[in-house]
Amino acid sequence: MSSNILRRAYKLSSSILYRYQPISTFFVSRSDPQFSTSSGKPQNQKNEYGVSSISNKRLNFSFGSSLNNTRLLFSTQAAVEPSTSDGLTVDGIVANQWTILDENESDWKSHASAIAQSIGLIKKRLQWKKLKVRLEMLSYQLEKPDLWDDPVHAGRISREHGSLMGKMKEVNGLEQGLLEHIDMIKLAREEDDTDLEAESVKALLRMRQSLKEKELEALLAGEHDSCSCYIEVQAGAGGTESMDWAGMVMQMYKMWAQRRGYGVTVVDEMRGEIAGIKRATIKVDGEYAYGYAKAEVGAHRLVRISPFDSAKRRHTSFAAVAVTPILGDGSHHVQINESDLRIERYRSGGAGGQHANVTDSAVRITHIPTGITASCQNERSQHQNKASAMAVLQSRLDQREMVRQAQMNAQYTQSLTDNSWGNQIRSYVLHPYRMVKDLRTNFEVSDPDSVLEGEIDDFILSFLTESMDKENDEV
Amino acid sequence: MNLAILARSSPLFTTSRILHRSIASKPFSCCSISNSPISINPKTPLFLRPPTFSATLSDLQKWQNWAKSIASSVKSSFTDSDNGPNSNDLHRELNWLIEDALENPQSLLTHNEFEIDYVLRLRADLDELYLLWKQRIEKRRPFQYVVGCEHWRDLVVSVEEGVLIPRPETELMVDLVDDVIKENEDLKEGLWVDLGTGSGAIAIGIVRILGDFGRVIATDLSHVAVQVASFNVNRYNLQDKISVKQGSWFEPLSGFEGRVAGLVSNPPYIPSGHVSGLQAEVGRHEPILALDGGEDGMADLLHLCNGAALMLKSGGFFAFETNGEDQCRFLVDHMETIHNGSFHNLEIIPDFAGIQRFVTGIRS
Repeated sequence: MSSNILRRAYKLSSSILYRYQPISTFFVSRSDPQFSTSSGKPQNQKNEYGVSSISNKRLNFSFGSSLNNTRLLFSTQAAVEPSTSDGLTVDGIVANQWTILDENESDWKSHASAIAQSIGLIKKRLQWKKLKVRLEMLSYQLEKPDLWDDPVHAGRISREHGSLMGKMKEVNGLEQGLLEHIDMIKLAREEDDTDLEAESVKALLRMRQSLKEKELEALLAGEHDSCSCYIEVQAGAGGTESMDWAGMVMQMYKMWAQRRGYGVTVVDEMRGEIAGIKRATIKVDGEYAYGYAKAEVGAHRLVRISPFDSAKRRHTSFAAVAVTPILGDGSHHVQINESDLRIERYRSGGAGGQHANVTDSAVRITHIPTGITASCQNERSQHQNKASAMAVLQSRLDQREMVRQAQMNAQYTQSLTDNSWGNQIRSYVLHPYRMVKDLRTNFEVSDPDSVLEGEIDDFILSFLTESMDKENDEV
Repeated sequence: MNLAILARSSPLFTTSRILHRSIASKPFSCCSISNSPISINPKTPLFLRPPTFSATLSDLQKWQNWAKSIASSVKSSFTDSDNGPNSNDLHRELNWLIEDALENPQSLLTHNEFEIDYVLRLRADLDELYLLWKQRIEKRRPFQYVVGCEHWRDLVVSVEEGVLIPRPETELMVDLVDDVIKENEDLKEGLWVDLGTGSGAIAIGIVRILGDFGRVIATDLSHVAVQVASFNVNRYNLQDKISVKQGSWFEPLSGFEGRVAGLVSNPPYIPSGHVSGLQAEVGRHEPILALDGGEDGMADLLHLCNGAALMLKSGGFFAFETNGEDQCRFLVDHMETIHNGSFHNLEIIPDFAGIQRFVTGIRS
């Protein structure tokens, strides 16, 4: 083995190592004689070596990766597939196909089977294999000595690494927990301890229940899903009828956001002359706002007898919806150059200054190189309208850059980039029959009023579930 | 030259001051601008008043619907007659009025029309809200006087009749100062002056970007303005860094000749002939003292130029707001010829509407 490979292995592994053990242990393990010898041995022993041997195992996996075998990298649990004392693994439980009964049936096999399935689904939704590859890449980057030359980039890498690592540990913990409970039940049976057995079955039940929530959370595992977001609605062609429709769609999102307990602020709104809006942007504040709302991107179609048509004809109108995440400070993808901006009073006229008393201090900011604009008129001072518009602009530029990067890096494309602003995603029919149907999932509801009052969670979840589960099946 | 003499050097200036005094004091039967030191208490802005009133949700909604409907009836009539607000602007103002008047404005969103008995806590009683909105629409009383405050940059400054409502354009003045002091530590820690401070907005905006040793003297001729500016300074807890003085332009600054690091002002610059045609909110309600700049609107600006040459130390910075391109050009020309060599880096800077709004420069 060349010393070069050794050094690479050392580098690769140290980032994980320091998450798990003090640096000093690491140095001890480095001087450990096993360091040079253990690499060739199969590593299926369970923890007999204590802490230092864990590090050796990790080093060993790195050597594996240099042999193009990345399977076992980054997790001891993954490397040594955890099992019960009699060798039952999580995959084994799934393979057993134990019948899943109702939660009320206190049957441990049923609980265990349901839990194992949930864990499988969560892994699928987290894109487990991709996640591991991504984690490997991030760890490698974290090791580069020049990483912190660009602190913004470094911060982003290290945050994403931490977040993925957290997900991986959580799932590994779930697997571990399931097996421990099973061991407990078996032990209790051997010892004839009915109290302990009942307690352990209950623990399994609690786990089974809590995993339903986690399955849902796993749908929102995208890098920016937990962010707040902007939702922008724009009326399609068709005058007042389509502006009215755009206004209805925006109202639907406002009510949806309020239902979910999100904060809603109108940032920018251009009203139609007679009804509705030409376009509007709202800011939706709260955890996972982006993760949910991104499912709404696309064109929404309305069919009804238009109240604005004196001939009472049936009209079809469209409203386009765009959603952009609000990234935290330091995680922006684009650095905006002040000199690239043109800032204008949105509505001006007259001499201004002391001549005018205005409460409307709207500004529009144009990012000259891209032509992307953002405006805000709902704040009470120009300064704050400007700050708000800047935040919208930042979000739009970030989004644009993320799409660009995702296209370049097809390996880690998020499903959201498939949805363009123009794709028709949902149809709302008020006449001649009444129905709302999602064209992506075929999910439908026959009560359009409730949907327009903001009950769109089922549409969102069915889309997220279907698109994510389908996409991951293809992987 | 003595500062007091400087202050009165322009004959136009003197007459217009006298004129202003009599006009400015009109709306204030309670507080004619006298030299007596009794302090009048500035009115507390609505959003700072205690929520001692209450109304049921249904009564508040009744008021809100009434207010909306009279705002809607305005359409573009004000805009057509004098470039005043349209219904859209008034609806937005109504939302802000509610925001300021309710203890918990969110409760309007979270409670629906079926909870008509739900009781909301208010900072003004419902009768007053009816009166205030009526004044806004029928009397064209500026919204900022109605709620007693103006949101300006990241500040909320208290305003009332007798004090000019700070304009959005003027916010840029603080950015101009920010650009200058970023490169110049000496200015950042120096003494700044805001002449004709009105509500004190510019002085407060500037002092918050100055360094630890930076100080501002804010002057105003109007007694009401001095009171309101002091109130705002205290509210932002800046009384140790800003001193508000009453007097005409440079009068309160004797002894600081050649020691001032920066000088800013938004003086009256509207030509006298334009005053009668002003937007109703401005012409009928705001203090003419703060608006009328004499025949060509330049009387005070020219006076300030002369004073700047005297007060600023070498390397000191000035920024004046003007009525537009003509005044800007005139000022620059004046400084280049009359004060030949006194200033350099003279610049004309536009506001966000593209109107040449500010003249800045450095004392040589």
